[in-house]
Amino acid sequence: MNEQIRREIKRLEESAIRLRTLAQDNPAILRNTEIILTFVTILKFITPDRGKEEN
Amino acid sequence: MKYWNPYLETLPREAYDEIELSYFRNMLSFAKEHSVLYQEKLKGIEGRDIQSLVDLRKIPFTEKEELRKYQEMDPFPYGGTLGSHIEKVTTFRQTSGTTGKPVYVPETYESWQWRIEAWCHILYMAGFRPHHRIFLPFVYNVYVAFWEGHYAAEKLGCELVPGGGLDTKGRIHKILEIQANAMMNTPTYGLHIAEEAKAMGIDPASLGIERMLCAGEPMPSATRKRLEELYQCHVFDHIGGTEPCAWAGMCETKEGMHLIEPFFLVEILDRETLQKEVEEGEVGVAVVTPLGRRSFPLIRFNTKDLVIKGKEPCACGRTSKKIEEVVGRIDDLRKIRGVLFSPKTVEEVIRKGFPEIIEYEIVVERKGIMDEVILRTEFPPNFGAMKADQIKARLREDLKVKTNLSFLVKIEPPGVLPRYMLKAKRFRDMREGGKNE
Repeated sequence: MNEQIRREIKRLEESAIRLRTLAQDNPAILRNTEIILTFVTILKFITPDRGKEEN
Repeated sequence: MKYWNPYLETLPREAYDEIELSYFRNMLSFAKEHSVLYQEKLKGIEGRDIQSLVDLRKIPFTEKEELRKYQEMDPFPYGGTLGSHIEKVTTFRQTSGTTGKPVYVPETYESWQWRIEAWCHILYMAGFRPHHRIFLPFVYNVYVAFWEGHYAAEKLGCELVPGGGLDTKGRIHKILEIQANAMMNTPTYGLHIAEEAKAMGIDPASLGIERMLCAGEPMPSATRKRLEELYQCHVFDHIGGTEPCAWAGMCETKEGMHLIEPFFLVEILDRETLQKEVEEGEVGVAVVTPLGRRSFPLIRFNTKDLVIKGKEPCACGRTSKKIEEVVGRIDDLRKIRGVLFSPKTVEEVIRKGFPEIIEYEIVVERKGIMDEVILRTEFPPNFGAMKADQIKARLREDLKVKTNLSFLVKIEPPGVLPRYMLKAKRFRDMREGGKNE
């Protein structure tokens, strides 16, 4: 699996986490950001890096 | 593209094993931390104890009965089976309750999307693509059936036509009206639509369905081929359940089903001991662990599905393990006059050699000290009595060869036997101690 793909997923996650912090008083932005993070979790699940998946 | 996820579907075998073990340890730790069921059940077992697939045997199976028991606790209605905070649950599903009280299954948005992603593999493998307009001749409700298929098809970019609020005739008209070119349905209902279409003077092949995915019942290959003949289309199967999700599906070679790896860790174990993995070509019980679904953790869930372990590799190029065939459910196996009997064998015989029989039901009764197996059959209206009698005699012979049992075959008037949209219940065991399904 292309390392660049995993790096971009990581950047997406970091960006969404920052957005979530900024959106605490806006339910719409907050929920949409949480949904992005849901898909980040799935993206991570479907791009496993052998031997490095464990939490 | 040939694969939904080219990376994930062509991994070397050892990579699957390594990744699945890794995911398994993660899930085990998560379950122990978040689910009361597993906090109690897995006391003394840690993720680090599982270093190989053989180590899995240190972990007890999860049985449906345990899920029911732990659901009597708070929070209602999921109790100690819940793996997330109750406020994170976004979808309720339940099992059909065929074998007792239904099991309630919570899905968070994340868990549901994880299920959908696994289902995308099933649909993509079966050749579903964005140009398909899929008709769902089905009433959506508390059961999981076809909700996953709906959302996965949407994710793939297909067009969905929910055909719930119509009767069968209405559905046939709608398929023609909007030119649907794909369907998802139970095999039984697929056959029923074809029967109804014929009664309306419409050749099922002219409905324009080019691809069909079946669910809900074990489908003998003879039934799958019968559907392909009737609709002149490609028919695919998959296997799954409300608790463990859908965990295997058929590729375009139509030779068995691929496990959806590494979403699920599937063990196919010897049915007597439930200890060792069976060899290729042997029948075993499927024990399934979903590896990324956290709202309802399941560790080594005993599905009670009997399957034949398949051969690898597959001509399609996917490297995942396969099952050759779904034999049926352990719950459906019966001893009749000392012979182990599976109702699926009767379906195989009927669909393969007796297309004239449009519906049937098997009833087992005890007459004195003897078990009697009655096969109630139904032929199309205006089917000649003499012809039906000849078929009846041939059917008795074929059933005797295939099951080693003598059947009393009865011919019922057209329309007497029930028709099913969901799981067909064509087997009734009326003996004392037998299950009246």
